[in-house]
Order: sequence, then structure tokens, then C-alpha cells
Amino acid sequence: MALVVLDQVSLTFKVRQNKVLTLKEFLVGQMFRKGNYPQMEVKALKEVSFEVAKGERLGILGHNGAGKSTLLKMLAGIYRPSSGKREVIGKISSLFDIHLGFEPEANGWENIAYRSYLQGETPSTLKEKVQAIADFTELGDFLNMPVRYYSAGMMVRLAFAIATSIDPEILLIDEVLSAGDLAFQQKAIKRMREMMDRAQLVIMVSHDLISIRNFCTRGLWMDHGSVKQIGPINEVVLAYQESVRSQTKAA
Amino acid sequence: MKAYLSQIWVCRWFWFSLVRMDLRARYRGSVLGMGWSLLNPIAMTVIFCTVFATLLNQDIHFYAPYVMAGIAVWNFFLHSTLEGCQCFLRAESYIRQYPAPMAIYPLRNTLSHGFHLVLASFLVIALSLALRGWTGILPIFSLLVSLPIFLVAGWAVSVLFGLANIHFRDTRHLAEIGFQILFYLSPIMYPSSLLIDRGLGWMVHINPVVPFLDLIRIPMLEGKIADPLTWGLAMGISMLLGLVGCLALRAKEDKVILHL
Repeated sequence: MALVVLDQVSLTFKVRQNKVLTLKEFLVGQMFRKGNYPQMEVKALKEVSFEVAKGERLGILGHNGAGKSTLLKMLAGIYRPSSGKREVIGKISSLFDIHLGFEPEANGWENIAYRSYLQGETPSTLKEKVQAIADFTELGDFLNMPVRYYSAGMMVRLAFAIATSIDPEILLIDEVLSAGDLAFQQKAIKRMREMMDRAQLVIMVSHDLISIRNFCTRGLWMDHGSVKQIGPINEVVLAYQESVRSQTKAA
Repeated sequence: MKAYLSQIWVCRWFWFSLVRMDLRARYRGSVLGMGWSLLNPIAMTVIFCTVFATLLNQDIHFYAPYVMAGIAVWNFFLHSTLEGCQCFLRAESYIRQYPAPMAIYPLRNTLSHGFHLVLASFLVIALSLALRGWTGILPIFSLLVSLPIFLVAGWAVSVLFGLANIHFRDTRHLAEIGFQILFYLSPIMYPSSLLIDRGLGWMVHINPVVPFLDLIRIPMLEGKIADPLTWGLAMGISMLLGLVGCLALRAKEDKVILHL
């Protein structure tokens, strides 16, 4: 069973306009200036409601800063909604910023291990997978080297191989398909597809309208933190393309 | 609460492997391996012994293990605090990717310093065996029992300073200054009897580090289990810190990510 329900979910960030605060400044400020630290409210999500059921593949589109990634992170449980209700039935796996969070001093094998543990593996389940992950990276002996010496492309290979080794129930993906050199990219797309096919429910953010159209069943168009349109993927993509076209024309 | 603890348990392999990696990273690349990290307490003890044993007119058979035990305890709290300040910042990329319970990041910090405390305790045991002879298994057993008290306190200070540091980025700097002052006020390089004899006993009695120091020193130097008051104080302080840490974490759990 996999189900994602959002009911009137809003998320508001308070952002300090100045640089980071120090205790010294804060105390001095309290004493002499009665503490004046302007905070800016950013309404990242505004009363977002939708429901995604098992078998559905939802593609999220919208311009930069529309709240797509924030929405995904909120679904993953990384941000708690400021108001509204988020209900998720099923185990979530997510692929965000997969190239971040590697321990530079540890070698490739060690990084495979603890990344996998973070994704919910245990030593016994990892044992079955670790060789497959290593093979997919094609990094060979480089896996014995601390990852701080890896090139950007090697990091991508490693990160991608680990991140896509899961068997997801609910899969959240944020723009990860820019992986490595050409040969690897072909392999990566195939592997990604296979993983997404295994998932019971997929929600993905992408600017690649062609692949979103190919893969998704429904589309969600986010605009300034609100849902602008939700419906069958073709309709939403067309409406979005239309609005972008008329905007660029006007400009 | 129960659900939270089970979440910590669920991702145990993750934080456990981080701790192991921290330890390995620290020992790797040095010929002496684990010995290297023990060099600091050894060197400090040697220096204190050459200078202060004479200056303070102390018997080296008492003073050497006394100082080494003091440094072991001190280093545990010092590093739990200072590196605790960074515990959430250091974990930023994990926090941004996975909704793991925040408690595991201070835990990572504490466990790796707890390991050093255990290593350093072995050194204290060895030194007191060499200088003071075998006093039975009971004192060593008592050290083992007191370890959880240290870990709870260490975890709590990591949580509190970690949270403080994401609000005020100069926390670590201020903590360094604070610890510097506390070092001279605490009976680490001088025996507490020196203060007590000169009418400064209150400074010993109000110092929260002292029960923790005694918890290791009394068994190692006097060959007996520490008195109930010392146990009670250490446990009380540790539980109080633990409680405050839990409450602070509960209040801030969801907000940590907004301050990174």
C-alpha cells in the first residue's frame, strides 16, 4: 500500500536578513538596541493539497523557485509543515542532492556502506548488494581510495550507483539525471527507469519535459508556492509550455 | 518517545558506521595508530609531573595517575563540547537528505569521544597498577559501571552546544574560553585537597566536573568504590543534563534544518 495525501499544507521559513548571528552581538544588541534582527518570512508552500495513490507517477513542474524541491523535501519528512496535514502510507526513499554527504576521508567501499545504511540497509542486506553497486560504478580499484581524490564524474558514478540500489515503495526524485559521461548516462537512464518501475508510487521534479511526459501519469504545476494546475500529464505540460511561451513573447 | 527511540534504533547501522569511521580516520595515517591519540594524555602527564609534582610537593606515585585520570575526564568533556558545537553543522548534508532523528548526530560525537575515554582509562589503570600495585578487580569494575553516566552527560552537552551553535555561531569560541577558565578552577593538575586546606573548599563543592573526576580517581587511587554522594552527584548532574538535552532536542528537532 502506498499513498501520499497533502491537505492544505503550508510551509513558511523565517530567514534572517543579516549574516549569521553571534551570541556577543545578540547580547550587546539586547542591551543597547533592544534587539532588532529583521526576519523575512518566505512562504515556500501555500495551502498545497493533493493526493497520489499507488501506481501513479506524478511529475512536478514549474519555474525555478516555485517550491518544487521544497515540496518534495516536505513530502520526505525533512521539513515539517507549518500548517496543514501530511499523510504518507508506505516507506519513502528519496534521491535529492545525491552527490552531497560523502565522507571525504573514507574510501569508496566505506562510503557505499554507510550511505546504504542511511537508506535503510542492514549489514546482511548490504552484503548482497555491495558488489552490484561496485560493479555498476565501474570504478574498480579506485574504490579503495579516499573519495576526496575522486573527480566530479567519479563521485557522480558512486553516488548514483548507491542511490539507485534501493527497492523503493514511494520514490521521490529531484533532478538527478545528469550523471557522468555519455556511456554512463545511457546506463544511468536505464537503471533509473528500472528502479522507478519497481516503485509503487513515484513523485519527481524535473525540467526535462520530454522525459516527464514519457514517464509520468499526472502532472503538478507549481507556481510561487501554490498549485497552479494538477491533472493528466499531457494537459499540464501543454498549459505550462503555453504560459512559458506567452511570457517569453511578452518579454 | 518510544517511537523516537525506535527511529534511532532503525538507523543504528548508519550512525554506528559513522562513529567507526571517525575513529578509523583518527587512527589511520599514523604509525602509532591508537597509541598516537594516547600520546596527548601521556605527554601532558609527563609535563605536569616534572613541573608540578615538585612545585606542589606531590608524591609522584599518587600524582601521576591522579593527573592522568583528570586529563582523561577533562578531554572527554572538552571535546564532547567543542566538537559537539559542530555536530549538526557537520551533518548538514545528511539532515538535508534524510529525515533521521537529530539525536544521532550528537550521539556520533559522544560515542567517538567515549571510546577515547575508555582508551585513556586503560592508560590510567595501567599507570596506577605500575605505581600503586593491584588493588583488586572492584575499582576497574566501578569504572566500567560509571561509563554510561559519562556518556549521557557527554551526549547532553553535545546536544545543547550543538543547538546553541546553530543559533549563535560563536558558541564554540565562547565555549573554548569558558573551558579554559574552568580548567584552572578545577582540580585537574592540582589536588583538590590543596583548595580545601586553604579554605577554598566551596570551589570544589560547586564545580560540576568534580564528581566525574572523583568517579575515576577514587577507585584508581584509593582502591575502593567512590562514596554514594559522589555517585549520586555524578548521576544527578548527568540525568539533569540528559533531561535538559532531551527537552531542548524535542523543542528544536524540526527546526534544526531551518538554521543550517
